[in-house]
Amino acid sequence: MKEFRPLEAQPYVDDRVKTNMTVVASLERDAELMLRVRDGDHASFGLLLERHRGPIIHFLYRMVQNQAVAEELAQEVFLRVYRSRNSYEPTAKFTTWLFRIATHLALNWIRDGKNEKYQESLDAQTDENAPRQVADRNLTVEQELVNAVKLQEVRKAIETLPAKQRAAVTMHKYQEMEYSQIAGVLRCSESAVKSLLFRAYESLRARLAHLA
Amino acid sequence: MQCPMRTREGNETLIAYGARTMTPEAESEFVRHMSGCPSCLELAEQQRALWGALDYLQPLPISADFDKRLYARIAQDQPRGFFSWNWSWRPAMPVAAACTALIAAFLIRGPILDQRPTPAVQHENVNIEQVERALDDIDMLKQLGVGATPAPADSGSDS
Repeated sequence: MKEFRPLEAQPYVDDRVKTNMTVVASLERDAELMLRVRDGDHASFGLLLERHRGPIIHFLYRMVQNQAVAEELAQEVFLRVYRSRNSYEPTAKFTTWLFRIATHLALNWIRDGKNEKYQESLDAQTDENAPRQVADRNLTVEQELVNAVKLQEVRKAIETLPAKQRAAVTMHKYQEMEYSQIAGVLRCSESAVKSLLFRAYESLRARLAHLA
Repeated sequence: MQCPMRTREGNETLIAYGARTMTPEAESEFVRHMSGCPSCLELAEQQRALWGALDYLQPLPISADFDKRLYARIAQDQPRGFFSWNWSWRPAMPVAAACTALIAAFLIRGPILDQRPTPAVQHENVNIEQVERALDDIDMLKQLGVGATPAPADSGSDS
């Protein structure tokens, strides 16, 4: 039997409530900015871009695992947002709508097999960029190599997941979205999201057990 | 606590434990359970290890010209106004104006030419009048007895 590990410090509920209130305020702010864009205020579009550029590109990068493609798809996401400004109605959370567009584009890209032609560049990119991602001046060359190998294995494990499971894991793990919001993005029930996530994490545990 | 792995919510508990998103009370209860349940402990530790391993996949820096490229695409995508759209047409504008004037002149003068009777029609009108006049003349001659066939003279009265 494995040794029991003590609990790590957890944020208090009060802190979580405050965080949630901040999130709600920022969501309302997004909708307000989008309504201003609808009314012709281009500066508000710049603010929206500033707020969501990073999360969208990072989400797409983890989905397609290629930085250039992720940025290209992100451009398309924001272009579609801009094109839809006249018909925008704040019926859903702005981020849900935004990630729905991003997920749709990423799933289409994966489905159309466009990733095959990027496979070669992906491999090259992996070898080239992997050490940089985890680069730390305190690490030895050997440690950096070990980290690069681990990164490569994580990438491959994520890549083997079915596209929808990959989207669910990416939103849950890296975007820290709630089940309800992931369900909103993927247009499915919360229980379906939980099922997707459990199957995805089960596969990943099996593939990456040796990294523990 | 019932073993979470035997309940419907077990998966959710496991994922929440791995992600460290459980409430302190729920986590304490789960930890107490794990101290007597090796299978749950093993799974939970694997999930936490996986959660840590996934952190290796960090995003790359975003291109510095991302916004610039996006705004260029948006500008290209805009519905363009007449004058901005026709910049490349500017040199051809005088030619287009001349063509328009020619077409207008043709349309204005065209109907006048069309109103003139064609020779064929004129010829047809003359023929009809001539025929009518000739018929009138014939009727008049009939009434006057001109051109009537004279009765045969002494054709058998002497006999």
